[in-house]
Amino acid sequence: MIAELLSSLSSDVMMGLAQAAGAIVLCAAVVALCRRFGVHVEREAAISIGRGLVQMVMVGVVLALLLHGSLLIGALILLLMTIAAAVTAARRLKGVPGPVLVAFWAILAGSGVVIAAMLATSALKPDIAVLVPVGSMIIANAMNACAQAAERFRAEITAHVGQIEAGLALGARPAATVAPYVQSAVYASLLPRLDMLKSLGLVWIPGVMAGMVLSGVSPTYAGIYQFVIVAMILAASGITGMVAVLFMRQRSFSPAEQLILRRGQDA
Amino acid sequence: MSGAGEGAIVLRAADRGADLTWTTGEAARVAAARPRSGLMLEARNLSRAVGGRVVVDDVSVQVRPGEILAVVGPSGAGKSSFLRLLNRLDEPTGGTVLLDGEDYRTIPPRDLRRRVGMVMQTAWLLPGTVAANIGFGPRQRGENLAAAEVAALLERVGLPGYVDRDVGNLSGGEAQRVSVARTLANAPDALLLDEPTSALDEASARGVEELVVGLVDERRVPCVIVTHNKAQAARIATRVMVMAAGKPVEIGPAREVLHDC
Repeated sequence: MIAELLSSLSSDVMMGLAQAAGAIVLCAAVVALCRRFGVHVEREAAISIGRGLVQMVMVGVVLALLLHGSLLIGALILLLMTIAAAVTAARRLKGVPGPVLVAFWAILAGSGVVIAAMLATSALKPDIAVLVPVGSMIIANAMNACAQAAERFRAEITAHVGQIEAGLALGARPAATVAPYVQSAVYASLLPRLDMLKSLGLVWIPGVMAGMVLSGVSPTYAGIYQFVIVAMILAASGITGMVAVLFMRQRSFSPAEQLILRRGQDA
Repeated sequence: MSGAGEGAIVLRAADRGADLTWTTGEAARVAAARPRSGLMLEARNLSRAVGGRVVVDDVSVQVRPGEILAVVGPSGAGKSSFLRLLNRLDEPTGGTVLLDGEDYRTIPPRDLRRRVGMVMQTAWLLPGTVAANIGFGPRQRGENLAAAEVAALLERVGLPGYVDRDVGNLSGGEAQRVSVARTLANAPDALLLDEPTSALDEASARGVEELVVGLVDERRVPCVIVTHNKAQAARIATRVMVMAAGKPVEIGPAREVLHDC
């Protein structure tokens, strides 16, 4: 494995570094042009370019090591990605008790169900080199769906405290008082993915398809496979959004059915 | 009683042992008590603290059937916070509320809120027709109000023929009357009102006052109304509780507590 890694370093990596140098020269030219217009981004651009290059080389080296590992390592990587995604999405769940757990279970439910379904239908090979990149795409989209659903639900609840409490005061179940806001939050989390599906091939050709075509796969099959991936992303987002909002709904009320999620409340 | 606030109504105030004859714009009180019935609403050492700040501090008061207790005081005195504790929209951090001696924490929250009806400062009507709003409470229990019942409730709050009106086309006073009718559709045993006329013009406010006084009298329910308007409290209340910094600082018959109104 190490020999293979060193071999790849000596050929592909050297070529990649040469291409990176070309890209850096072009960026430097743009920075110089900016300077002529009085826009001074020299220092910031140098730091960004340097960081970006170092980070991506490091990620490449780690992946080169990991992608030769077992399927168990792949599952572990996806689990760590899910935890990281939960921590990120939890920032949008301010005011909800246990935000990281809510985000974790929602993202795990969405991405877990979809990845399992893709493996079961052979849409995804049980190979770490395929599982990790495709799984990470699904987890990343589930994270965005979780954050969008949570943000929308929280905004709706805090903007409609009066209506919700009027319903509670009339003896309504908490779930009935927030039903319209559950619907709008789930819809809000699905909308970007629905737009993505609509514009597929018309506005953009996603990375998976582009990569497959470049590596010699039939463009038709690559297109169909890309559709499968985006459709699965939509499914994962839907499940994640629904689970996140249902958890939030449950945690927005006390056991005595009092609304506890309010504007500016942190806990 | 006229829905538009015209004409005369006769009220009975249980604790004073007096009939009240009220023509729009004036209140006159005449003797004679009506036998008491219905539910006794009692706050016992009721307190609530939020983030270490005490908003309601050890309030004990009883409200008898057919009695209107007005809660007055400056902004931030804890009036609305106190009211919200009475139907458990907020949780007390001390003390409790008794309904005819029964601790309200033993009553399922939805049953409790049906029994202790609340009219809020803003009507918060649901989008749709007046009839759909009136039937909201019973629908939560799987009951459908008959058209005749809806019509009778609207007649009672002075809005005959409003059944199919869209709530988006109602005035502030009409919306508040629908809100009252919606609460009444639950057949509450007690009535809470949180500044129900603060957003209304004088004529609409007087109409809602008359409606509340008439309803409390005919249904013999205890009623607690929060108001910043001392003149309003003097017009409709049997007793008045003055609050400051979450505490009741004075409580007694309206004419004694509000002698300057």
